[in-house]
Parts: sequence; structure tokens; C-alpha cells
Amino acid sequence: MASTRELTQGLRTTLSKMAASVTGLLKPWTPRVLLVRWSRYNPYYLEPEPRKEVYHIPETELTPEQKEERELKSVRPIKAATNSVTSSVFNDPVLSKFVNMMMKDGDKIIAKGIITQTLENMKRKQVEKYHKAPEGKKAEIECNPYAIFHQALENCKPVIGLASIQKGGKFYQVPIPLTDNRRRFLAMKWMITECRDNKHRRTLMYEKLSQELLAAFSKEGNVVKRKHELHKMAESNRAYAHYRWW
Amino acid sequence: MQTQTLSTYFLFSPERRTANMAASGGRTVRYFLWKCGNCCSNFNTVSSNLTRQVLSRQLCVSAVLHRKNLAAAGPEKFSEEFIKKQVEEFNIGKRHLANMMGEDPETFTQGDINRSIAYLFPSGLFDKKAKPLMKHPDEVFPKQRAVQWGADGRPFHFLFYTGKQSYYSLMHDTFTKALAVENHQDRLRGKDLFTQDAKQISLVGSRWLLKEELEELLVETISEHDYARFIQLMERLLSLPYCSVEEDFVQRYRRQLEIQSSKQQVQPLQYDQHGVAYSTGDGRRKTATGTVLLRDSGSGSISINGTNYVHYFPVLQDREQLMFPLHFMGVLGRFDMQCSVSGGGHSSQAGALRLAISRAMLSFLSEEQVETMRQAGLLTPDPRIKERKKPGQEGARRKFTWKKR
Repeated sequence: MASTRELTQGLRTTLSKMAASVTGLLKPWTPRVLLVRWSRYNPYYLEPEPRKEVYHIPETELTPEQKEERELKSVRPIKAATNSVTSSVFNDPVLSKFVNMMMKDGDKIIAKGIITQTLENMKRKQVEKYHKAPEGKKAEIECNPYAIFHQALENCKPVIGLASIQKGGKFYQVPIPLTDNRRRFLAMKWMITECRDNKHRRTLMYEKLSQELLAAFSKEGNVVKRKHELHKMAESNRAYAHYRWW
Repeated sequence: MQTQTLSTYFLFSPERRTANMAASGGRTVRYFLWKCGNCCSNFNTVSSNLTRQVLSRQLCVSAVLHRKNLAAAGPEKFSEEFIKKQVEEFNIGKRHLANMMGEDPETFTQGDINRSIAYLFPSGLFDKKAKPLMKHPDEVFPKQRAVQWGADGRPFHFLFYTGKQSYYSLMHDTFTKALAVENHQDRLRGKDLFTQDAKQISLVGSRWLLKEELEELLVETISEHDYARFIQLMERLLSLPYCSVEEDFVQRYRRQLEIQSSKQQVQPLQYDQHGVAYSTGDGRRKTATGTVLLRDSGSGSISINGTNYVHYFPVLQDREQLMFPLHFMGVLGRFDMQCSVSGGGHSSQAGALRLAISRAMLSFLSEEQVETMRQAGLLTPDPRIKERKKPGQEGARRKFTWKKR
């Protein structure tokens, strides 16, 4: 289920390694992992830092690691910033990732439009709730759609995942730890598939997405349910945890 | 030759690699693996761990990489008197050439020599090595080793019979230095003067010697394994807290990396007839090219190909890209921009204009601001282009439908 891509990549590298060792070309100093995925940039290039605040910290308040990082950056070339990245306060990396995942056939304009409508819709609902609520409860209602989005995504992130591992001819679902990126990816993927599949023909995407996000914010809804089911499966397969070798 | 290798090292070109992967010949696959093995050699990183550095390509290029180490190849080919005679002939010839060209013999530089030779002997040949050249004999004849044994046949160096005397003596020296540092530390511990936070050698901004550079220094060939062991030993020396005692020794085997911001070309500011400062910049992204005329008039109006930028870029993302350099430096309403752009799609046109605006802004900024712009990724031209379609596949990556039979 999870990390089949990692497994196939591992398989590809092991096959190439086996092939290389069979033909006698694998020497002790050749790298064991031959990467298939590449980038136009030389690995010497560093990632850019587009946020303004980072550069306004005075010299005295920097930690030694930050000082070292600054000195390293001054001698290394830096990659160009991508199209979706700006220094503005509205630039959110998590939201950009979500927009990209929502995008179909490279149509970012439509995906970005849906997300904007979703955020507006969420704000409207929350403001309506805010005005209808009694005085004591007003402070608890969160009206910032970005905060709701982040909190909802956090609530959907699974803590533990499952991997299909073959042992003795049978495949077992083994609980494995997940990296941060993987958890975020799963949360977003579940959210999008849920909104695409389980909606009425007439409801629009932004409407369904805002409903799901608000539900996830209050820890209800199908996505959070799916996360809990995954946790339960992992707990039930606890006995096979020792099959994991990494 | 040097520029050609620069381009191959600068951009990680996949075509050669895929061609090598596809070829069934052992020689090309070995070449590819040699390149991978070459990539294993490390350059300066903050946390240097040799086993973790997989496929780290070198950007630092020196002429050393292209010269074969002929000196280490065999016994002396040219005797000392011969080289001395060549040097005298070169100096006399240089003065004659200066007289011929009507220049002052005292201040005749190598650049002048090259130009004079190109003028007197025009060559239509393409290969640089085939053209006539006049250089100092030290650059023409490779550095050689003198004979390593005396008249009685006994070698001078005690490690001669190892075959790599300079390398092993270097390793012995390094280890002796490490032992000396440890002794120093023990003495300090004995006197209760040992502190963990002693002055450390600053490693940022420099890199270890490349294998080829080390070979040139030692005047003998060493293997990749030897080089890796040498770097390991130096790193071990650096791991000791009081290694600053042997700083001179360590710095001899490190090369300074140049500061990247000094590579930026900043055009001087120009002034038009009304005294308003202006500058131009151009940028490219995929197939789009854009030029921008930045004026310091203070209105903040932007026109692209004659139309307002709001009409030309109806998408918010493109307008954000135009504003990115201005917002980053905090000069949003200050500049007037006249842009022209052609080619590509809306996204690449916006990217091209962003680069053009950043380059035009450089003339108005101080050096630290230029460096911050560079670190934000505004000054690097984006090298990503459309990947080519390969034969035997439907697209760049998509393969044809697999049919079992």
C-alpha cells in the first residue's frame, strides 16, 4: 500500500546493481544506488530562500549553524525560484502543494480557482456561525480559512502506515513509520479523492471541499475516519512489526 | 576545451548518460561508471562524510583536470640542460618578437605574445592544440621527476620501493601531525588547560584538493582509493579539538572557493535627459525572451508590449511573479517599467520578465542586497526546458504500450 514506489525504486536499483556485479563492473568504490530520477541542476546548487524575514535578522541574533549556513550559501550557486513561489505573505508552500495535487492536465488556473473559492466559502460559513453564536462562544470559532486548512490537514495526517512485505511466499501488511512528507501527501491525497468520489453529481468541488475541511477541522468526516481505520489496521497487525528491516 | 568541459559539468546533461545506459558495449558502460565513481570524490561540505556523498558532481574546474599527468608516466624525457636552453631561447625569442611588432621588450606579456603569433601565423585550423603557439617551456614541457637513485643505484627516499613514495610519505607526515596534536592535547590535559571549545579552523569557503590537483602536487599518479584514504586521514586530523595547531599544514591542501556574488555582472546606472535614472535588463525562460526598461520615476506603472500588465497577465500567479523582485526589495511603487516579451506561454513569459526585472534592478542596489537577491533565487536563469522525445518511446518518458506478443 504505502511506499510501493520506494520498493520498486529499490528493486530497480538492486536489479541494476546485480546486473553490474554480474558483468563485473561493480567495484567497491562505485555507488550502490544508481539514481534514475535526475534534475537539470547540478547537485552542487542549493535551494533558494524566498522569504524576506530571514534576511532581516541582524548578525548578532544568528545561531552558529545559521552563520555557517550563510557562509556556505555565499560560496555556492543557488537554484532559481520556481513559478509558484513569491516572497509575499500569501505564499503558502502547503497550499501550493495542495493546488498542484488538485491540478488535472496542467490546468493550474482552474485548480487555484477552486481553492480560492473553497477558502472564501469556508470563511463565509465560519463568519455566519460566528454571528449566530452566543457571546461566550464567539472567541472559540476560528474564522481564518488558512488556519482551518492547516489544522484540518494536521488532523487528517496518519501517524503510522502500512507496507506490503513478502515473507515466506505470503504478503503481510506491516506497520511502518512514515516520513513527514509522506504523511502530508497521504492527508492531501485522501482529501482530494474523498471530494472527487463521494459527492453528489450536482455539488461543486469547492462546496464539497469546504464541507470536508470544516469536518476535518472538528475531527469528524470521512477523511479522519479513514485515518483512524488505518491506525486500527496498523494496531491489529502489530505482531508483524518485526518483519520490517529498516 | 576548457569551456566545453565547463558546460558539461555545469548542467547535468542526461542525453549522454541515457546513451551510455542504452549502449550494450562494455566500454561505454565502464565510462559511465567511471563518471559515477568520479562523482564520488568529495568537495567541501559542512558535514563531510565520505560514505554519504553519492554522486556529488564537481563544479570547480581547474586546468589540471585536462592535462594528463605525463610527469608520473616514466623516467626523465628531457634533461635539465635541455630545459634551461629552451628557457633562454624563449626569452631571446620573446624580445625579438617584441622588436618585430614594434613593442617594448621589457613589458611584453604572454597575451601580447599570443596576439602577435596569431597575427604573424594566421591559422585556419579548428583544433586549438594544432595552432602555432609560443609559451614558456615550463608550460609546454611537463614537470618531471629527477632520477630517484644515486650513482651506486641506492634510492634516496626510504619509501622508494613502495612505488608511491610521495603519497606514502605524505600520509606518514599527516599521521605524525595528528599524533603531535594528540600529544599537545595530553600535555594540556596534564596541566588542566584542556577546553572543548578551542579555536577551530574555518573550513567554509574552501574545498579539499581534487585528486588531479593532488597528483600534480605529488608528481605521481594515485588511485581513487588512495585519494579517499588521504581525505579520510585529513578529516580525522580535523576532528581533533586542537587541530588549529596544524592549520598551515591543512590549508596547504585546501583551495579557496570564490564568492558567488562577485560573479554577477552589474551594469552602471544610466540617466536620461530629464535626470531620471534608468536601466535595462533581459531574461529568458524556456523559449520566452523578455526585456525591461526600469525607470526610477516613482509611479509604479507597468506596461507590457504596449498594454497594461493587468490586461496582459489575467492570471494572478504571473502578476505575483512580476512583483516578486520588487516586493522582495521593498520598492513596490518606485519603478516605472516598460516591458516587451515574446515566445513561450504565459508562465514562461512571466518568468522571463521576472529575471529581466531582477537584472535591471541590480544597478540600483548595494552589494549585500545583490547577494540577498541571489540567495532568494531571483538571479539564476531557470535551466529547465522541455525534455526531448527519445526514439523507441512515445514521449520523453512515456513508453509505448507493452504487448506481450
